[in-house]
Amino acid sequence: MKAWATLAGIAAAFVALPLLMPGGTLDLYPLAGARFPLHAGFVDLATTVLVFGLFALGFNLLFGHTGELSFGHAMFFALGAYATAIYSKGFDVTLGPFHPQFAGGSNGLVALALALGSAALWAWFLARLIVPRSSGIYYSMITLAFAQVVYFIAFRWSELTGGEDGLQGVARPDLPGLPSGWLGDSLHVYIFTATVAFFAVALNLWIVRSNFGSVLHAIRENKARARFLGYDVDKYRVNAFVLSALFPALAGWLWTYLQQAINPDAGSVDYSGRVVMMSLLGGINTFAGPILGAFVYWDLQNRVSGLTKYWPAAIGIIFAFFVIAAPGGIGSAFEALQRALARRSRGDDGPRAGQLAAGEGAAP
Amino acid sequence: MLHQFSDQLFNGITLGMLYILVALGLNIILGLMGVINFSHGAFFMLGAYVAYTLAPHVGFFPSLLLAALAVGLLGIAFEALLVRPLYKRLPEYTLLLTYGTALVFEQLVRFVWGDDAVRYSGLPDWLSGSVTFGDFSFPVYKDVFLVLVTIAILAVVWLLINRTNVGVIIRAGTRDAQMVQILGINMPLTFTLVFGLGSFLAGLAGALAAPVYAIIPSLASQWIILTFVIVIVGGIGSFWGAIAGGLIIGILSSLMELIYPPAVELTGFIIMGLILLIRPRGLFGVEGLFE
Repeated sequence: MKAWATLAGIAAAFVALPLLMPGGTLDLYPLAGARFPLHAGFVDLATTVLVFGLFALGFNLLFGHTGELSFGHAMFFALGAYATAIYSKGFDVTLGPFHPQFAGGSNGLVALALALGSAALWAWFLARLIVPRSSGIYYSMITLAFAQVVYFIAFRWSELTGGEDGLQGVARPDLPGLPSGWLGDSLHVYIFTATVAFFAVALNLWIVRSNFGSVLHAIRENKARARFLGYDVDKYRVNAFVLSALFPALAGWLWTYLQQAINPDAGSVDYSGRVVMMSLLGGINTFAGPILGAFVYWDLQNRVSGLTKYWPAAIGIIFAFFVIAAPGGIGSAFEALQRALARRSRGDDGPRAGQLAAGEGAAP
Repeated sequence: MLHQFSDQLFNGITLGMLYILVALGLNIILGLMGVINFSHGAFFMLGAYVAYTLAPHVGFFPSLLLAALAVGLLGIAFEALLVRPLYKRLPEYTLLLTYGTALVFEQLVRFVWGDDAVRYSGLPDWLSGSVTFGDFSFPVYKDVFLVLVTIAILAVVWLLINRTNVGVIIRAGTRDAQMVQILGINMPLTFTLVFGLGSFLAGLAGALAAPVYAIIPSLASQWIILTFVIVIVGGIGSFWGAIAGGLIIGILSSLMELIYPPAVELTGFIIMGLILLIRPRGLFGVEGLFE
């Protein structure tokens, strides 16, 4: 699809999203009861979908586009979120003889720079350690284990991070060009998040469609051949890792302002796993699949958790079903439909739809 | 100080023994089939819960064996029904599938046994006391029985792998499963049985752990991550690797309790980072596997 068409579609989806959430005006399955014109609860839910969509989109830069499954991407989400929260709350810690302290700041852009910077540094360090030494499921196990380091530091370093309870009462930032306190209600937070998310999605699309993105696809399909073509495969893998860490960090920045609080769960295996599930449900071989997956995941969670407190089991079963029967996710079904329509309008046979979409044997 | 040290050392050895059993099961499966079972931690947890439920009714020793057998059979069914269809795909898909099922197992346990920790009772009297050496005292079950039983199990597994025909198939299959299949060995059956064996070991470890540790639904995710770390430190597919990794992580993380308590949970990850720097294939990693 043309880039502008993809972006226009995503912009339209972002506008419609708050209305599609459970209880929204356009809700297709109104199990949740009454419909409200615009209700703060589901606007916040829509914001959550965007945050996690961005998170999953970054994750998929590795899994879908480079073919490497990181099972620890929540660490970058947590880093971005904690950098934001600690910057706005300030800190006063004891490090041996030193007492670094900071009163706290309200500039959203400084928080953003800190969020992206800390995630990029940690990602670069980890990638240099992991990438030359592992691949395949070994890589997945190692990323999962290193994510626990971030999780436990957030959990244990109470002085800085608030420990198990985390940090509450994070003030929403001042933004250049907007009146102070503009981010006061759910709808404004949604508009702000959607705007940031839109530009991040555009950047992601540009990366995927660039020459750099093509090399990542080559690495996904066949590492050895990519190397024979003269590409420094490990260097590309390191760069992909760092880039894919920036989107979760950005999502963490947005998430902290939405929640106005953060706790160590943000860096847990549970969060890493959620993003893996979202990406696969939505479709890892399609560009917007992970965003679609975030919508499906939260929509599902919202409905099922109203019915039973054992809702993770339902999500686990649906996810396991997709892994076995439809590894291409929902997005690949859309793509197959799109190809079928295009073939019809061209009136020729074209490449057989379903070859890629079936996902059977297709490299992730 | 010396008492604290000896207490923590023995805590570490006990923990290490259980780590070894869980990691060995995961490692044999990983070495032979090249897939990771994320639900392995859930199998460990199920072993603990089943032993907890059975022990007051059937007695201590039968409960150990029944729990391990139940989890072993579950592993066989699990492999045959869910994992097998994925062998023709990339191993990542098995990791994803078993992640999904781990969520289901955890909720199942919450549903059946509740959210809170359950307390094990059913340890026979002769195992509940302590033995004393001078002014050191050691709980019989934790410091003596559990360690001796684990060593006995490891000896049996070692003999199985190194001195039987099944062991020859497992070792050859770890090198090249396709070639062994071509030689006329029924590899799908071997895979299923080995998956069952690995699950049996996890279930047994859970049953052995039940009298010592709090039995809670979050056991599964705690243990699976540590098991990954142990496998990475010890080396994928290696018998001695699982033993070395389990003991090192168990003992050092327990001793960290004396040195710097907030870093206890980090110990394993720090060791893993160092091992990756020095010897990426792990202490006993087999050359050519996963490289």
